[in-house]
Amino acid sequence: MSTSFDQMIVSEEWDSTDLSLLETLDHVLNRGLVIAGEITISVADIDLVFVGLNVLVSSVETAHEVLRKRQTE
Amino acid sequence: MSAFAFYVYCIAETAAAAQLPAGALPVAIEEDAKLEWISINNLAALVSQVPKETYSEESLADHLTDATWTAIRAMRHETVVEYVAKRASVIPLRFGTIYLERSGIEQMLNEKGREFEEIIEHLRGREEWGVNVYCDRAVLLSSITSVSPVLRDLVERAQQASPGQSYLMQKKIETLKVDEARTAVSRIVDEIEEKLKAQADEARRLRILKVETTEHGELKAKFAFLVQRSGFEEFRDTAEQLAREHQAAGVRLELTGPWPVYNFVQDLKG
Repeated sequence: MSTSFDQMIVSEEWDSTDLSLLETLDHVLNRGLVIAGEITISVADIDLVFVGLNVLVSSVETAHEVLRKRQTE
Repeated sequence: MSAFAFYVYCIAETAAAAQLPAGALPVAIEEDAKLEWISINNLAALVSQVPKETYSEESLADHLTDATWTAIRAMRHETVVEYVAKRASVIPLRFGTIYLERSGIEQMLNEKGREFEEIIEHLRGREEWGVNVYCDRAVLLSSITSVSPVLRDLVERAQQASPGQSYLMQKKIETLKVDEARTAVSRIVDEIEEKLKAQADEARRLRILKVETTEHGELKAKFAFLVQRSGFEEFRDTAEQLAREHQAAGVRLELTGPWPVYNFVQDLKG
């Protein structure tokens, strides 16, 4: 097995405790089908949010807090 | 007028939705609400109620500036969509699709039903895999001389030149190294894209949101591939092969997934 290859998540179970938080936030916030709902968040808003999230996620403690909430609640 | 609006996570087929009882579903975006399916004919939207007070346009914009608030809700959105995607062909919606009335969702399902059905059919049995390409600059620069004939030649000449000439040539070598390294990375990234594309149904090159420097080096490219479940072994083998081939040049590949197909639904008219 090559050491230069990291598979972050296993395909068996989509249990993603070890999944990069930023990677996930990028998917949820920046991608996915956009249907015009009655209340919408503009893309510009999301870009701004993402800047904040970068800062947030770089704090390991806060990132864990978020992940824990995700798991238990 | 109700104090609640409807937050929509994803769209699936009604038959598939019926196999996923609401009671067994994960936590909703606001944890005290329940997830429910709103179904019209063959299609069902997974929704939960959210307080209008929090999710009105102005209030939502305020909350979004709170990164922790947003991150927790984005993760809940993801958990819900993943739960469904693992069990059914599903169209993941982007974070923050909110309808004021149940009837608005019913109307949307009615109007876009055909388009949704086509997308679901197209995505059946397929998953999204992400590939990130990193490059360790120091490793690349030190390996570049051995793969570049021009550089090798120059280095040899510099060794035989007079001290004064050698100094000038050394400067030239450093500049050339940087150029050659850039060309090499872009060639390797293109090769990775092309070879993995051949093992996938579709490929997307994603924008890099910020320069990420990690223990693996700098993030050089980010791809999403739509891969058939039955073809994943080959896809992964190809990726591993590429990782081995380019390891010496300081290049690392990172495979992430399987994801709900976030990157393969957004081009369609919403």
